Amino acid sequence: MSKALANKKVLPSREAGLFKELLNLYEGRQLKKGLKTADTILKKFPEHGETICMKGLVLVHMGRREEGIDLVKKGVRLDLTSHIVWHVFGLIQKGEKNYEEALKSYSQALRFDKNINILRDAASLQTQLRSYESLVETRHTLLRLRPNLRQHWVGLSVAHYLNGNLKEAKVVLEKYLATLKNVPSHDVEQSETLLYYIHVLEELGEYTEALSLLDSHSRNRDIVDKTAISETRARLLTKLSSPEASEAWHTLLERNSDCHTYYLGYLASHGHPIPPSTPSHPDPDALALISSLTTEFPRARASKRLGLVLSEGDEFKSRAEEYIKGSLVKGIPSLFSDLKSLYTDNAKCTAIEEIVERLQVEFKDASSSPKGSEEPTTYLWTLYLLAQHHSALGRHSKALELLEEALAHTPTLPELHIFKGRVLKRAGDYWGAAACVNEARVLDGQDRFLNTKTGKYLLRAGCVKEAGDVFGLFTKKDAASPGVDLEDMQSMLYLLEEARAHETNGQPNLALKKYMAVKRIYNEIEDDQYDFHGYCLRKFNIMTYLRMLKWEDTVRSQAPYVTAAVNGANILVASYDDPEIVKSLAVAHEQLSSTSKKAAKKAKKKAAVAAAAAAKMGGLDGKTPQQHSNEDKGLEPPTAKDEDPEGLKALTGEGTPVLEQAWKLLQPLLEVGLEENVEVWLAVYDVAIRRGRYLQAVGALEKAKKAGGEEHPEVHVRVVDLKQRAATLSDLKEPVKSVLEEAIKKLYPVEVSPETFNSQYLQKHSQDPKAVIAAARASKILNAPVEEVDGTVFSLLNTDINLSVKVRSPSPPLFHLYFRSDVAMCTMYRTPWSP
Amino acid sequence: MNIRPARPEDQPGMQACNLRNLPEKLHFEILCGNVQPYMYHVMTWPGLSFVAEDQKGRIVGYILAKMDEDTKEGERSHGHVTSISVLRAYRRLGIAKKLMLQSQEAMASIYKASYVSLHVRKSNRAALGLYRDTLGSKSRILRRDTVNADGEDAYAMQLSLADL
Repeated sequence: MSKALANKKVLPSREAGLFKELLNLYEGRQLKKGLKTADTILKKFPEHGETICMKGLVLVHMGRREEGIDLVKKGVRLDLTSHIVWHVFGLIQKGEKNYEEALKSYSQALRFDKNINILRDAASLQTQLRSYESLVETRHTLLRLRPNLRQHWVGLSVAHYLNGNLKEAKVVLEKYLATLKNVPSHDVEQSETLLYYIHVLEELGEYTEALSLLDSHSRNRDIVDKTAISETRARLLTKLSSPEASEAWHTLLERNSDCHTYYLGYLASHGHPIPPSTPSHPDPDALALISSLTTEFPRARASKRLGLVLSEGDEFKSRAEEYIKGSLVKGIPSLFSDLKSLYTDNAKCTAIEEIVERLQVEFKDASSSPKGSEEPTTYLWTLYLLAQHHSALGRHSKALELLEEALAHTPTLPELHIFKGRVLKRAGDYWGAAACVNEARVLDGQDRFLNTKTGKYLLRAGCVKEAGDVFGLFTKKDAASPGVDLEDMQSMLYLLEEARAHETNGQPNLALKKYMAVKRIYNEIEDDQYDFHGYCLRKFNIMTYLRMLKWEDTVRSQAPYVTAAVNGANILVASYDDPEIVKSLAVAHEQLSSTSKKAAKKAKKKAAVAAAAAAKMGGLDGKTPQQHSNEDKGLEPPTAKDEDPEGLKALTGEGTPVLEQAWKLLQPLLEVGLEENVEVWLAVYDVAIRRGRYLQAVGALEKAKKAGGEEHPEVHVRVVDLKQRAATLSDLKEPVKSVLEEAIKKLYPVEVSPETFNSQYLQKHSQDPKAVIAAARASKILNAPVEEVDGTVFSLLNTDINLSVKVRSPSPPLFHLYFRSDVAMCTMYRTPWSP
Repeated sequence: MNIRPARPEDQPGMQACNLRNLPEKLHFEILCGNVQPYMYHVMTWPGLSFVAEDQKGRIVGYILAKMDEDTKEGERSHGHVTSISVLRAYRRLGIAKKLMLQSQEAMASIYKASYVSLHVRKSNRAALGLYRDTLGSKSRILRRDTVNADGEDAYAMQLSLADL
């Protein structure tokens, strides 16, 4: 009996040797030989778990994934106490980006053998999962096992740092640095390590010590990054309120006089701090300092621009005129975006207008005379600036007038066409806008900027196919479609704009697909950090590594993800509320004309050809297809074929219910500092309430109210919605029931009926179109008769309200109203949603 | 308009800027495996890449630089500009030149690079003007199809950093 059991684990010497060879063959990725070796062992010992696992691993590398994974699982079952089987299993799970499960497997493996490779992988997983306490333990173990490896010391220090224990991080580093002998001078790795050490001291508030170390090590050339040295020095001296601080900031300016932060640091060190994004902050003493810097660094615009922030009145006017005139003569296209932030200060805005109008006259006269002192283009740029100025203030007709004059002067300047398009876009004429921008594009076919703008404007006009054709002029020719290439290139602009176009065109299924693509890209961004956990440590690039981790912690708070998640969730919720939407979309899809079906077939064929070509190219050393069987496909699963190209299955909840999908989109937004974003909390409410998570819903609504105010139209709709739903929840258990009731009391006055509450809101905000629509939607929720709902909406047409807003009727037939009363343009169209 | 060292969080901005500028992406997979090229550069040579950002913090220009990885023992080390681009709307501000100068200074001081190399399309007159005339590089012509997918000739240029 015991002999049979023993046979399962321990191999006799011949097979043990073969097993060792198998491991080596795998290391060298000699897959075919490895497979043979494994089979040789298994002939005699078919139940040897470790060999079965290794065979499975080799098969996965060879592309026989399902087969391989089954074997790996079998191997694990047969030998639960082998570190090898758990290691292999962990590798497979890691390849699938299933980090939590992989870590579990690795932890199992470590129970049976403290293997360095496994420990290192475990450390990477723990960092990826932000399990910093266990990370510290793992790094400790690594250090004990191999105290002679420098990166193990630094790794432990970094682990303590990430775990919030700065004191320990410092102690470990000091011990480490003390052990070093014969460090060559000007060693980049040592330089980075020292910068990390100084950073830890700075975080601990030990500024004096940090500074003295910084100074001595820079003198010895132990630290080589001059910019980092100067920046750290300036920062530390500032924190120490040292009189030497301003000199340090000045040194930075000498190296880079275009860095805004350095100017602010310099001013702060002289006792004149300016809030970083403030548009206007008059301060004569600061102004004097800036003036001397301007003299010292005449080529830097930053100081002159700061002068505009710090001055006011006549001083401002003369500086602004000099700045603007100089820029116009030079022909700087971005001048307006540069000046725009000053406009929050009305006096400065008016002053600028007055200056530019005067310059317009001056340059017009100059350019029309034969011996004009200014170039004709200066006059053009002036018109351009003035047009941008007026458009920004909502005077679109005036802007167009100026642009027409400029275009008559020089029809070949792309910037003029682009801006004309922009004005039309602001006025709501998307087709006209796209046509204008396209005019710019044809002036310079080599310019991708113009191409991208054109594509974007076409998408704004809802012309998806045309946009694709334009983008296609610059995308990879062998991609299945321009969209596929842009998605590969992680173009958020493309994905979000096309999604928006699909929504406008009444195809939320296609929009959802684009939003999901954005989600996949963010998954990739998060996954990409994995390799750096080991890499940066080996290179000792600690500071940049820490920055990366910090960024990745909240990367989902970036605007593209928030937009995709919120809009995607809204689409899913709409589909949940009204399954008819999906049904009518499916019908529309069936009725695709034969030409589009042909086009679809053609695209499919092209994609297949592209895929075959790509497979053929494979590695760059030109491996022929015969070598495929020995080709290492790696551990990652191949990209799955898209089973739902129209996105209709997703919308019906096939596979994953729609609310679950919506929740998965929103979940990453909860902990990334988006408290001020009302849309996020409204979306969370919508999903939570429908999933029956009442406390979560109420919490979200409270946050929405905090972010947007209780008079916010969308908040109002949800408050009514909550009240309505709560009335039907008779079977709630305690304590949920009473918590819910308490929360509702806070959001909504108990003594008032919902209908009254709503009509009070309507009366209060009858001049605000968004609020009126919100009231209409609320009354629909309260099951008011259709005429009443529509009546509310149409009341907007009878008034003098400035309807510069897009509104959507809450009840079928769905239509959009879009007014720009100042340009007297109105676009009204029915969406294809309605039958 | 602000010029500063590039940081990991600039990656999406640099990619977005790149997509509006270069006619085709440089063969990033070849250069850096399957890891995002910007990340790879910034995480490996943190002091060499710089960005220009507008008032709202959007990346309007960048230079992505590295130290050459194929330098053998005993050879002089040199830097390489993988990619540099500035949005069309932000021309005439000397951004490209400023980015180049910052990067070169860093290559010389951190890595003791003796020169910096880069590839420029033959038809890219603006870039050639910048490198040859303003910054003083010596140029020589590379073989075809070394750099560009469409086979256009490119110049390999070198700028000595001896006086930095």
